Amino acid sequence: MTLPILPSTIAPIAAPTAPSAIQPAGESPSSGGFQDVFASAIGQVESMGQDASASVQRFLAGDGEDLHNTVLATQRAELSFEMFQQVRNKVVNAYQEIMKMQM
Amino acid sequence: MLDALAGQIEHYMDLLSTRQKLVASNIANADTPGYHTQDIDFQSEFQNALSGSPQVIDAPGLQMKNDGNNVSLDRESRLLSENALRFNVASNLLRIQIQSLRSAIKEGQSS
Amino acid sequence: MSLFSALSVGASGMSAQRARAELLVQNLANAETTRTPEGGPYRRQDVVFESSPVESPFSSYFDSQVNSPSGVSVSDIVTDNSDPERRYMPGHPDADAEGYVAFPKMNPAEDMVDLMGSARSYEANVAAIGAVKDMIQRSIDLFR
Repeated sequence: MTLPILPSTIAPIAAPTAPSAIQPAGESPSSGGFQDVFASAIGQVESMGQDASASVQRFLAGDGEDLHNTVLATQRAELSFEMFQQVRNKVVNAYQEIMKMQM
Repeated sequence: MLDALAGQIEHYMDLLSTRQKLVASNIANADTPGYHTQDIDFQSEFQNALSGSPQVIDAPGLQMKNDGNNVSLDRESRLLSENALRFNVASNLLRIQIQSLRSAIKEGQSS
Repeated sequence: MSLFSALSVGASGMSAQRARAELLVQNLANAETTRTPEGGPYRRQDVVFESSPVESPFSSYFDSQVNSPSGVSVSDIVTDNSDPERRYMPGHPDADAEGYVAFPKMNPAEDMVDLMGSARSYEANVAAIGAVKDMIQRSIDLFR
């Protein structure tokens, strides 16, 4: 998914209230920092998703994967994705707020 | 997320799972001549954070019967219950963690 | 290694104990049988247990080769071919020329004790399957 990466001229955005494994976006206004945060967050979600798929595959194939490992892997993937979604929504909302202000 | 503590609990569940499989084998072979009770060294496997596949050992200190079998159904029945109960506790702990995380995310949604 | 294989292990234990119990009951029932289709008195039979890998329908071929836990199976049924017990009963229809009848060589007390042991082991296997099933169910509950 592509996200609007905010230019560095915009003032720091209010931190989202979701618990953070991902750093609050209200840190430095430098685009480098922000882009990095998003990139690493996407990477994290991706890798958890892949772990989950692999675990499900192994379980279904009967390759000796314990069910609780599969359940936990899928829960991790789901939760990290949901959290990421919330952070993204907050960021987009904040961006839209700011765009309204400029009119 | 769900990493440090949950990772430990998951490892605990892995070990309990392995141990229970061995208990099932011991029970099935309670009357097999020459069969030795199998187990894992739970404590040391748990300390040893990411050990992959735990090492199966011969359970020490058991009495040998005439046919070379040393399975004690009393011991195995006790372990059967204990493993199941501990697994129960661990899965409940994890479930609570998952639920709190989920509700924390949902709460973030509304504000 | 999946917990599901432990279910197969418990099932193998149940089968083995059941086979053992059946043979013990057969021995007890035939304690006085002097005439059999093969000729001669009934001969006592015993199961021989052996630990063996279990077949699980859901396991991949690779997993069943590498990780298979040990269940149990009946590797052999041995017949007691020692000399039968001879009792002096001249009027008996199966008596031989000297008036002796060949009776099965039995040990009913031992067979009874073994039968109780077999029942206890059977129950333990049932309990094992129950406990394992419960653990698997708990894993499923983590989805909630």
